Amino acid sequence: MSNTRTIRFTLNGAPVKTDVEPHETLVDVLRQRFNIGGVRESCGQGLCGCCTAIVDGIAVSSCLFLAMFADGTAVDTIEHLGSSHRLDPIQEAFIEAGALQCGFCTPGFILMTKQLLDIHPVPSDDDIRHYLAGNLCRCSAYPEILAAVKLAARRRNSAAEPA
Amino acid sequence: MTPEPMPLSQVGRSIPRLEASAKVTGRAEYVHNLRLPGMLYGKIFRSIVPHGRITQVNVSAARAVEGVHRVVTIEDIRSIIPNPYFGPAFHDQPILADHKVRFAGEPVAVVLAENYRVAEQAAGLITAQYEELQAVDDEVEAVSASVFVHDELKPASTFADLQHLKGQRGTNVALDYRLRHGDAEAAFAAADQVFEHSFRTQPVMHTPLEPFVSVADAANGRLTIHTASQSPSFVRIEIARLLGWAENRVRVKTAHLGGGFGSKLYIKLEALVAALSLLTGRPVKISLTMEEQFFMVTRHACTLKIKSAVDKNGRITARQCKTWWNGGAYADIGPRVTQKAGFTAAGPYDIENVALDSYAVYTNRPPASALRGFGAPQTAWAYETHTDLIAEALNIDKLEFRRRNILRNGRPQATGTVVRDTGLEAILDRLAERLAWDQPFDRGSDKLRRGRGIAIGFKAIVAPTTSAAIVKINADGSCTLYCGTVDMGQGSDTCMTQIAAEVLNIEAESIQVIHPDTDVTPYDMGTLGSRSTFHMGNAVRLAAEDAKSKIAALMAELNLPPGSNVPLVELFRRKYGMQAGNIIGTGSFHPAYAKPDHQTGRSPQVTPFWGVGGTGAEVEVDTETGQFRVTTLVNVVDAGVPINPKLVQQQISGAAIMQFGFTVSENMVFHEGQLTNGSLADYKIPGLLDLPRNFINEWVEARQHDGPFGAKGVGESATIALSPAIGNAIADAVGVRLTELPLTAESVYRAMQAAKGKPLPEQ
Amino acid sequence: MTSFELVEPRSLEETFALLDRDDPAVRPIAGGTALMLMMKSGLFSPLRLISLRRVEPRLAGIAFADGSVRIGAMTTFAALEHSPEIRRHLPVVTRTMRTLANPRVRNVATVGGNLAHADTHLDLPLVWIALGAQAVVVSPRGERIVAVEDLYRGYYETVLHHDELIAALHVPLRPTWRSVYVKVTTRTAHDWPALGIAVSLARDGSIIRDARIAVGAATKKATRLIQAETVLRGAAIDAAAVDDALLARAGDAAIGEISIEADSRGSASYKQHLLRVYLGRAVRAAAAAEPGA
Repeated sequence: MSNTRTIRFTLNGAPVKTDVEPHETLVDVLRQRFNIGGVRESCGQGLCGCCTAIVDGIAVSSCLFLAMFADGTAVDTIEHLGSSHRLDPIQEAFIEAGALQCGFCTPGFILMTKQLLDIHPVPSDDDIRHYLAGNLCRCSAYPEILAAVKLAARRRNSAAEPA
Repeated sequence: MTPEPMPLSQVGRSIPRLEASAKVTGRAEYVHNLRLPGMLYGKIFRSIVPHGRITQVNVSAARAVEGVHRVVTIEDIRSIIPNPYFGPAFHDQPILADHKVRFAGEPVAVVLAENYRVAEQAAGLITAQYEELQAVDDEVEAVSASVFVHDELKPASTFADLQHLKGQRGTNVALDYRLRHGDAEAAFAAADQVFEHSFRTQPVMHTPLEPFVSVADAANGRLTIHTASQSPSFVRIEIARLLGWAENRVRVKTAHLGGGFGSKLYIKLEALVAALSLLTGRPVKISLTMEEQFFMVTRHACTLKIKSAVDKNGRITARQCKTWWNGGAYADIGPRVTQKAGFTAAGPYDIENVALDSYAVYTNRPPASALRGFGAPQTAWAYETHTDLIAEALNIDKLEFRRRNILRNGRPQATGTVVRDTGLEAILDRLAERLAWDQPFDRGSDKLRRGRGIAIGFKAIVAPTTSAAIVKINADGSCTLYCGTVDMGQGSDTCMTQIAAEVLNIEAESIQVIHPDTDVTPYDMGTLGSRSTFHMGNAVRLAAEDAKSKIAALMAELNLPPGSNVPLVELFRRKYGMQAGNIIGTGSFHPAYAKPDHQTGRSPQVTPFWGVGGTGAEVEVDTETGQFRVTTLVNVVDAGVPINPKLVQQQISGAAIMQFGFTVSENMVFHEGQLTNGSLADYKIPGLLDLPRNFINEWVEARQHDGPFGAKGVGESATIALSPAIGNAIADAVGVRLTELPLTAESVYRAMQAAKGKPLPEQ
Repeated sequence: MTSFELVEPRSLEETFALLDRDDPAVRPIAGGTALMLMMKSGLFSPLRLISLRRVEPRLAGIAFADGSVRIGAMTTFAALEHSPEIRRHLPVVTRTMRTLANPRVRNVATVGGNLAHADTHLDLPLVWIALGAQAVVVSPRGERIVAVEDLYRGYYETVLHHDELIAALHVPLRPTWRSVYVKVTTRTAHDWPALGIAVSLARDGSIIRDARIAVGAATKKATRLIQAETVLRGAAIDAAAVDDALLARAGDAAIGEISIEADSRGSASYKQHLLRVYLGRAVRAAAAAEPGA
């Protein structure tokens, strides 16, 4: 008996549908069916953040998220941040602060930083360390990541102020 | 008249990584993301016993799963590759287990399916039976054990520095390196005082976040391998050898690597995917899971014994070191680690009489190889803890004791190679300054004791090796750089363009780098051992200079005066009558090297340069629990003259945090040959919360006279001395010495209780 | 992971019809983060998973009434973490969230799923035990109330039947109590705890009127330390510094009433020592805290 079902969701702003089996994870479906390269499976246990995707506005570890649960949602990945012409201020801050080395974990850090800044527009050093404790960077660009988050916060806040 | 602004020097600019934009948008290419039409996915079925003869492998259930294309064992591999054994030092590793398994986790069979999850599910249905053999686990016991991991050792003879390896039977010792400098025995006999200590280090894993991944695509009599490899040139040589093909039929390409750290070196999954693609005629991809990475390659666990003779002036007069390297079931590059780390196992001290023995030992564990330091961090753990212990016994300040014995430029090191262009003394000075070593130190309270420690170490660089590069000037004057160095996050693309740009007097960012592709980019020995900036950097410099001289020749040919400002595009137009043609500059670099004498291990030119690093640490120890916090961590390395200061600093801090994990939390725990903690939930790598609050990373300039613009490699330098600095700080805080890594809260507490005569029960 | 059937009932009645009292391979799934780990590692291969995410509204919501708060089982950790009412009335829960797993897990993991998972390393069940919380358990046979401390039988084992669900949690609001949770890690800062300990104290001036203590990670299951509580109950304390001898007796009692398990985060003897030290520290911190903390 096949348990395959068709799910429909909005992927990076565009409506999509695909057939999935119940045991398929969101990370597999995004990568295999939709060629989303910015979502990556590394630890497979929700600990490293490489597979971070945004489902209905909240960050999830897509390696621990059943694809069927994405039915009817809006799923966003790093591919949807900024635009082809202009980077998001967080992306710019990561470049300027040098907050990346191999780049494999970078999309996860950036997406989580966006969530952090939505909750804490002016995060303390401690806020950043705790919020991003669930993202791992084996190259250990951690000092630069701290700097990038603070830089991005300053940029966002100054942009939000009325001219 | 305002003068023309001087062109900005390209060397010394902290430009962001060239590929930064691709990485922050998630669009950078990794082999992890590669999918080819018609591609099959492989999933490996692994041994669950550490040592045994395979009596049966039952693949019928796996074969029956819908979507499974084929299940492959060593018999199938042999139909393509009759002698399916590979390795950089010995041809000892079978592509799949060949009737015998030598570690728990060894690949035995592969399921190929249209879909990765189908392959995974089917692999779970394979069963195997084994006739279990006694296993050897400990590196010291394995030397005299009557159980042999391999019946016969078959040297590979691929690398110039490993030509002396012997084919042998009846031993687990793959290589023994000995070094004899002066007369250590006589010096010990005459010594005022002798100190002797033993140390151990644990097995750890590189843990790149992009797990091992390789894709092979056999078509039209050629084989293309897309692989997350640090050494594409070696992969090509080894695959061609296995197949009996000419090198030009094998093409090896890399993309960005999601971390390497020495794991993705030499040959790993490539032989397997090559055979599978040839067997099926389809592209085949194998991506490991994080859990499987623990079965691929590790850093050697070591046992180290070190003995020193010291005179009444606090000068070390003799040192003897014995090191046993737990190489696991396959030698990989362990013999080189054993030899290279052997060169410097006596530490960066000026010692007249040195006797070193270093043994690469086979055991029934996952293979061990190079990991950010080629063994130097293990030897430094021993010699820098030993250094503190001696200073304590002599009641000499630990910094002063080091200064008194430090190896100075111009003096011969134990191998006989004269040390030059190092910043050893400057690093000690900088550490002292950053830690305010001469100032009173707050030792905390009874409950929270504070302490501080320093350590310094060095390493020889792998030799002899060579790199080649091509600089192509296009007809519009733009520049393309062909370079086989693999950018795995260290920023080599950026650094290499800065070197070429400096020579050509153009902007680094305007140069395009062609990523390693053995059909296109020239040979490079590998991206490893801090060698790229020096070796490839020099090759790129030479290639750019060659291009520059060809430009000058063209100008002469066109009767333009030297220094003429006619743009390049115009030169090509004048030469060819249109925008056409190229200038190709080539560069090849091969530093001087003299092979060590086999009896004495000595050589006048054992390394092209020295990698040097020092660490200072301040810790707070909770005396009730042994839990400790590193409050200040200072890492200072010798960087030559940095090409890109920002990238250098990141190499220092990244290496330091990595080694911090190897010091306080990472440990592959084996129970009866089985790994018990092979996942990131149970094997803990550092995160943001572990970053010391006061974290300082700096370099001292020590111009490398023959480096490109004075530069040298720095990728490993900050790993070398970090562990002993923290161990020394803990000892300073609470007065107990730990001799075994990792330094855990429990090990500190146990040592404190033992010192009080109230040992904590084992269980 | 192997294939299974995933169903998403809209009501409890539908859910009950899908559950199977005798088959552990039929299981409810809430956020699924912990269950996914078990399924990916092959420790659990379901035949059927029954998603509770569409069973509204009985399993959702945070509601305050009559001196207690009812937290629907499907409430996510993130909802708890960001609830101003929870912060006001149960600040220990808000504080615990900061070091609990990571934000992505907290966005998805639910209060009920966490309770039912019965992993001794989980932090929150210990806090619930110290707060005196009770689980509302529903099944085709009706509803029963199980105190959180009585929910666990052993390692990954609850007293629930396969056709029972946790619908909600009732947490009494006790504005005079002071609560503390301590997560003790021994390797990296962000790790599963080697020891988790939650302490809730009621103090009348310098007398500990009542105490509730729960320990986990070092034991097979989340466990209430009844004997240690007894030692503390009625004891006179100096608000500035709780007496060492009293804490030593509480520590002895704690060690005596539980069996400590070794794991990769510490040997049993070390964890036993950690329990003594951190029990004392947690009691001191709770005694010194503001009422309602």
